Amino acid sequence: MNYAIETNDLSKKYGDVLAVTHVNLQVKQGEIFGFLGLNGAGKTTTIRMLLGMIRPSEGNVRVLGQALGAGGCGPWAQVGHLVESPSAYPELTVRENLDIARRLQGMKNPKAVDDVMQKLSIASYSKRKAGTLSMGNLQRLGLARAMIHNPTLLILDEPSNGLDPAGVVEIRELLTDLARSHGVTVFMSSHILTEVERLATRIGIIHKGQIIEDLDTVKLERFRARRLEIKVRDFAKAHACLIRENYSATINDGVILVSDLRAIEAPDEIARLLVNTDTPPTHLTVVQQNLEEHFMQLTGSAK
Amino acid sequence: MNTLFSALYTESLKAFRSKVPLLTTLGFLIAPLIGGLFMIILKDPEAARSMGLIGTKAQLTTGAADWPTFFNLLAQATAVGGAIVFAIVTTWVFGREFSDHTVKELLSLPTSRDTIIAAKFLVIAFWTLLLTLLSFGVGLLVGNAVVIPGWSPELFRSASVDILGAGIMTIILLPFVAFMASIGRGFMPAFGWAIFTVVIAQIAAVMGWGGWLPWSVPALFSGAAGPRGEYLGVHSYVIVILTSAVGLFITFYWWRNADQTK
Repeated sequence: MNYAIETNDLSKKYGDVLAVTHVNLQVKQGEIFGFLGLNGAGKTTTIRMLLGMIRPSEGNVRVLGQALGAGGCGPWAQVGHLVESPSAYPELTVRENLDIARRLQGMKNPKAVDDVMQKLSIASYSKRKAGTLSMGNLQRLGLARAMIHNPTLLILDEPSNGLDPAGVVEIRELLTDLARSHGVTVFMSSHILTEVERLATRIGIIHKGQIIEDLDTVKLERFRARRLEIKVRDFAKAHACLIRENYSATINDGVILVSDLRAIEAPDEIARLLVNTDTPPTHLTVVQQNLEEHFMQLTGSAK
Repeated sequence: MNTLFSALYTESLKAFRSKVPLLTTLGFLIAPLIGGLFMIILKDPEAARSMGLIGTKAQLTTGAADWPTFFNLLAQATAVGGAIVFAIVTTWVFGREFSDHTVKELLSLPTSRDTIIAAKFLVIAFWTLLLTLLSFGVGLLVGNAVVIPGWSPELFRSASVDILGAGIMTIILLPFVAFMASIGRGFMPAFGWAIFTVVIAQIAAVMGWGGWLPWSVPALFSGAAGPRGEYLGVHSYVIVILTSAVGLFITFYWWRNADQTK
């Protein structure tokens, strides 16, 4: 299978410090891959290795099926990137900054600049010098530069940085649309878990330079799904009653979990049912597994 | 070729939209203007004293108010002033990518790093050569305005060789400044290097080794220590060219291979 990004035992060592250790990533085409980690976990080092900006101490990287070569050579005409904080040439206008990006991308059509400014809602700032832009608009400019050549792979480091809540939603919708409608693969790092959780179709968690968890679609759905959690004195009797009433109930770690929407939306019905069966609930609540808690547990336990 | 043109356009726009070209032009034009003032003083020291241009007790023992002296001043200013001002230009072109954190925008592109670095060097060469020519041109205007004797077509030809030769040799020694700005990832190491080379160039020239130290050669070529034939040989020019080639090689090599973490 051809992956958009594939790494094999990717490692980076600075002196005695192991920044990234044996990272194996396989990002499928069209995926939105969320790359989560605490500050200093190795996210940016990994991203820079994916972009050929840093040479791995061990292992290798393939981007869009092509191994990265000497001098940082790679399939960059099809890759857009935004690494760490956004930057631009302060004495140049927004349009000029994008125009030089267009030229360095080898694009001949100047209209691409107007198109991407429209897409990122910065057309009204086109004549403004980049040095006078707010952090949010500078971030938009950085994203515009990453997208100007309509890449098939976007590698974005903290794309929501500096954006206001409306901007965060706008960028989320834009990235989702690019992935769903145009098949663009998005590899994005972030420490804003809720943002990644909403956007990503797969999540990799990096901690102390190692991938400690790979959450695929199924696992992510589990995090997104709500369930009714019930505690009773007689689990067997309550469970049998719920099954008899066609609820998909399971007993797990001393609680009964019910995932049916009708149970989640009307927990009072479940309570009434259990009371009538002489197994009144001692605890009944709608729960949703929390990625943030999961992440904290993972990174905390790995300390 | 198209990618080189794109990179050249990009680098030119970045360079000439900043205030640095104006500042370096003003800085470099001080030399012919000061030279002109010096000629006025040498022409008529008493008038200069009465105008307050020099102190009443100042003794003027060096040079005469004529074209050979004026051209000699211009050539020396091109070599020594160029070593500083041209280094500022080079430091700006390379070092600003790190201080503005824009270096990552030059990487992972279809335009290769070699092409971008080549474009940077071409912009520096054009910019510094323009400064040399501008300084020479302004010098000619100032010399004419001050009305000094000793002009001849032969003198103009030899002065052109001195001034442009000193300028070009200073320019081709700039790759080491670019390298220092690159490995130092900013302005300060490159400035430090430029000042260091000016100082060791003086010391080497005083100790009689100037012909063997590339950074002494432009000033000695300009006639700063007397006729250049006494100090410089073919080896001096070969050393300058080799130093330039080494500087270019290590700068390109660094950009190809160094980890870019900034």
